[in-house]
Amino acid sequence: MKERGPRDQETDDKWEVQLRKGCLELAIMAALWGGRRYGLEILRQLESDSDLIVSEGTIYPLLSRLKAMGLVSSEWVESDAGHPRKYYALTRTGRQRAIEMARVWKRFSSSMSELLAPLAKENR
Amino acid sequence: MTGGDSRQRIEAYLGTLRGRLRGIPEQEVREIVDELRSHIIDRAAASGEITATGVDAALAALGTPEELASQYMTDNLLARAEVSRSPVRILRSLFRWASLSVAGFCVLLGSSVGYFFGAVFILVGTLKPFHPHSAGLWIFPNGPGDYEMSFRLGFGSVPAGGRDLLGWWIVPIGWIAGCGLVMLTTHIAVWFVRQYRKSWALARG
Repeated sequence: MKERGPRDQETDDKWEVQLRKGCLELAIMAALWGGRRYGLEILRQLESDSDLIVSEGTIYPLLSRLKAMGLVSSEWVESDAGHPRKYYALTRTGRQRAIEMARVWKRFSSSMSELLAPLAKENR
Repeated sequence: MTGGDSRQRIEAYLGTLRGRLRGIPEQEVREIVDELRSHIIDRAAASGEITATGVDAALAALGTPEELASQYMTDNLLARAEVSRSPVRILRSLFRWASLSVAGFCVLLGSSVGYFFGAVFILVGTLKPFHPHSAGLWIFPNGPGDYEMSFRLGFGSVPAGGRDLLGWWIVPIGWIAGCGLVMLTTHIAVWFVRQYRKSWALARG
């Protein structure tokens, strides 16, 4: 069998990065489900609840895109820290979209788990 | 490093970022910069005071300003084009795309032609009531056996031997064909943008 070189490792990493990025949009919307939050709060929640974050910078352009698509709204709120923070909240369209995405995700992940069950046994 | 140095480092980072956000409206650039400043300060001052190491860590975690700017630029402008139906906005996004790739340039060129002819149709249809005898789609002889067709807005005189092809029909036809052309161009441009964004999201890695 062929040895796995550093190049294979790189391809594996790329795949994982893409997988995380693909899920990030839904994860951000899920983090906003409970109410408005600012960027760093969203990051902290994603860090504690998941290991989705690749680079902290990624979520700001993404939030800006969600806003351009009308899925979230934003407002500046003065803070105790002495500077204002930009808070994001799901719009009505955003909430509907999040529900739809969660439904697709559930279907996708359960069919994937089923498909991967024999591989998981192999690993034991 | 003093507190002043830390502030300077933050502003230098944001200055580079701002310089790379060309094409995004000024108001939005200001919001992006303010939001990131707020993020860096919050993150660097996790234990109360803003420390040099805190600022370094915050900036490193954000990635380079160039990378960050490029994510904002392409993602943002094209996402806007995707949900937008405004030709001005779409053309602005296409200008940005054209600076990135040959495909973008071709789509920009095609869309410009589409919008141009759409605008001409609408303009001729609108000007007909003001210049009833000279505005419209005209055909006139251009040498033996050769004819030339042209849209005339009605300013200036009609060339000798010319014939107004559509007469008053240019008003409804101009408006319907013009609006149709603008809508069709928009649809096609948005379709291309969508295809490009799909491939770009995959290649970004």
